[in-house]
Amino acid sequence: MLPNRSRTSVLVFLLPPLLLYCAAVLFPILQSLFLSFFSWNGISEMEFVGLANYVRMLTADDIFWRSFFNALLYLAICLVLQLGGALVVASLLTSLRRGRELIKTLYLLPAVISTVAIAFLFVRIYSIDPVGLLNQLLHWVGLGSFERAWLSDVNTVLAAVSAPEGWRFTGLYMLIIYAALIAVPKELEEAAVLDGASKWTLFTKIRFPYIRPVWITTTIMATTYGLRGFDIPYLMTNGGPGQSSELLTTYMYKTAFTSTDFGYASTISVFIVIECLVAVGLILFMLKRKADS
Amino acid sequence: MKKLFRAAAVAAAAALALTACGGGGTASDPSNVSPTGEIKPREISWLLSRPADGAVINIMKKLADDYAKEHPGFALNLITTPDRPSYIQKLETLAAANKLPELFDTDATPFAQELAKQGKMVDAHKLLKSLDVYDDYRPGALDYQRFDDGSLYMIPFQFELEFIWYNKALMEKAGVSVPKSLDDIPAMCTALRNAGITPIAIDGQDQWPLERYVAYQPFREAGPDFVQKLKKGEASFSDAAGQKTVKWMADLGKAKCFQEGFSAQGYSDAQNQFTSGQAAMYNIGTWELPSLATDKLNPEVRDDIDFFTLPTTEGSVTAANEFVSPSGIGMAVNSKTYDPLVSDFLKFALEKYPAEYAATGALSPTTNVQTAIPANATPLYKKALETANTLGDKQAMPWDTQLDPTTNGRLQQELVLLVQGNITPEQFTKTMDGAIKQNAPKFFK
Repeated sequence: MLPNRSRTSVLVFLLPPLLLYCAAVLFPILQSLFLSFFSWNGISEMEFVGLANYVRMLTADDIFWRSFFNALLYLAICLVLQLGGALVVASLLTSLRRGRELIKTLYLLPAVISTVAIAFLFVRIYSIDPVGLLNQLLHWVGLGSFERAWLSDVNTVLAAVSAPEGWRFTGLYMLIIYAALIAVPKELEEAAVLDGASKWTLFTKIRFPYIRPVWITTTIMATTYGLRGFDIPYLMTNGGPGQSSELLTTYMYKTAFTSTDFGYASTISVFIVIECLVAVGLILFMLKRKADS
Repeated sequence: MKKLFRAAAVAAAAALALTACGGGGTASDPSNVSPTGEIKPREISWLLSRPADGAVINIMKKLADDYAKEHPGFALNLITTPDRPSYIQKLETLAAANKLPELFDTDATPFAQELAKQGKMVDAHKLLKSLDVYDDYRPGALDYQRFDDGSLYMIPFQFELEFIWYNKALMEKAGVSVPKSLDDIPAMCTALRNAGITPIAIDGQDQWPLERYVAYQPFREAGPDFVQKLKKGEASFSDAAGQKTVKWMADLGKAKCFQEGFSAQGYSDAQNQFTSGQAAMYNIGTWELPSLATDKLNPEVRDDIDFFTLPTTEGSVTAANEFVSPSGIGMAVNSKTYDPLVSDFLKFALEKYPAEYAATGALSPTTNVQTAIPANATPLYKKALETANTLGDKQAMPWDTQLDPTTNGRLQQELVLLVQGNITPEQFTKTMDGAIKQNAPKFFK
């Protein structure tokens, strides 16, 4: 327990960042909440419409639901690639004797490339006419029947725009998980090996429980990043063809800045805030229950 | 801590109330085009959406420098965002914040009409008349800028004609000739595909090029009024002209007229396909003359390239010399900041602009100057410019400047699906008629 005087000083030092946070995060959220009850195109008079925007969003807007489910699928693909990929690579790295630094750096590289460059790069990779890298590879390995215009095919486009986002941050999460893995006490692992634990048991009973706090943090980070994913799909396909790669975020952005329907766009953004809170709550709940059992 | 939150909430609510009140702002009389008073030089800004080193910007920079010599302290700050969707977002956000600069670019969109209705733009008809240059303009160039009610609030700086460019050698190879009717195109595409040639190169990424095609059949079948009625919900895609275009677009898709994966290909991808001799046709305007009708064009295809104008159809209500002839995005004058200086500068610039612009080899929006043909031009250059002299009275308006933005966005998305065969013409019709019904009333009250 801190003495009284220093608690005051801690509060004094905490206040400026808190105020900054309120101004930059809470205030816009509250403003969106406020705007979501209005119909407003930016230059007209604001018209109070009550819950009409929410009713329209939940009951009458097919694009909204389409983009909501797209966003969930996008999230799932990103999570599998980012967290699954990161865990696999990090685990393999710990058993590597040489060249760890080099491999770590190589995996981290995509995280420092600018988003726009990544988007352009992948548009080329997926291209069919002229033939891009992916279709060329498929051709070489004899899977020519799988060649397609990945970004124009309504069945593949969502996965195609999710993969670059997943690929991009795998290295970053790998680094965090790797740091946690090498902090697992060697004595514990050795004791388990002496007791005849297999590699799998070692991982599930010793290593993973040990890195669980870090795992929770990375899961929350990856989920919130995934839920607000915007730039790569927007740049690569602009939500198309049709609404096949439209996410809630890109739809919200278009509603606000192309359709100038600021009231309805605010309604969607309020939904995104709630969705993020629910997702984080769910993750904490599930992981806590697992830890308790 | 609870107290702190309560205080923060109150502060947030108060700030909200303040911003909500701050939206207004007084606009001066938009019809007062000759303000009196002293000319006080200052810096003025033009928010525009034109290529950064293009002719319009270069000429206006030069004219502003000339003007500044006589009026020390004057400067023209050109802020350009060539990417149109980003530009529109910027413009709309600034308009919402009531922070539009002295001059800004806009098409004759429903949004712009609302700005005009609110008195935020100077009446360009009166302005051009008062500067005594109104009669110099091509009627078509001004008509392109007009709103549906005939009012004029934007000044054109370009005049372009849109053609379908084609590769004679590829057409011959497939045994097809220039289409006599729009309805011939799907069959042409099939023949070209059978000969292993991409029929039409199109920039699918930017969406407006595909949207041009949907405008063609109704323009021939029902004239320029169709889209004006359609956007207000007075006509629909279920009508005869609407159904004809929906079916035609689906047929283009079925005949594989556009390159595979076109929806993810950009402007330069499409142009490269055509200029490298892979695609037989390419629909683009005279702004590309410097790359399609000069020695910059790939020598291998240079002698094979020609163009035709929009084909007619049987029973067409518009003539062969009537097609898409846009005068580009127009410049609007902010009425709030319009003063003797802005007026005097515009008088200076608009008088000198046409001659300078025509000297660059482009078509001026006025008829009082002769376009200079560049030394490296191919014979096509002259042929293209001469087409401007025989234009008819009606013009096909690009639909993206006509429809309300939400319907327009939906149309662009659904068109790709229709052409790719992901939805049926019936689904397309139902979705689009529904979208117009829902969105049009808000914009066209």
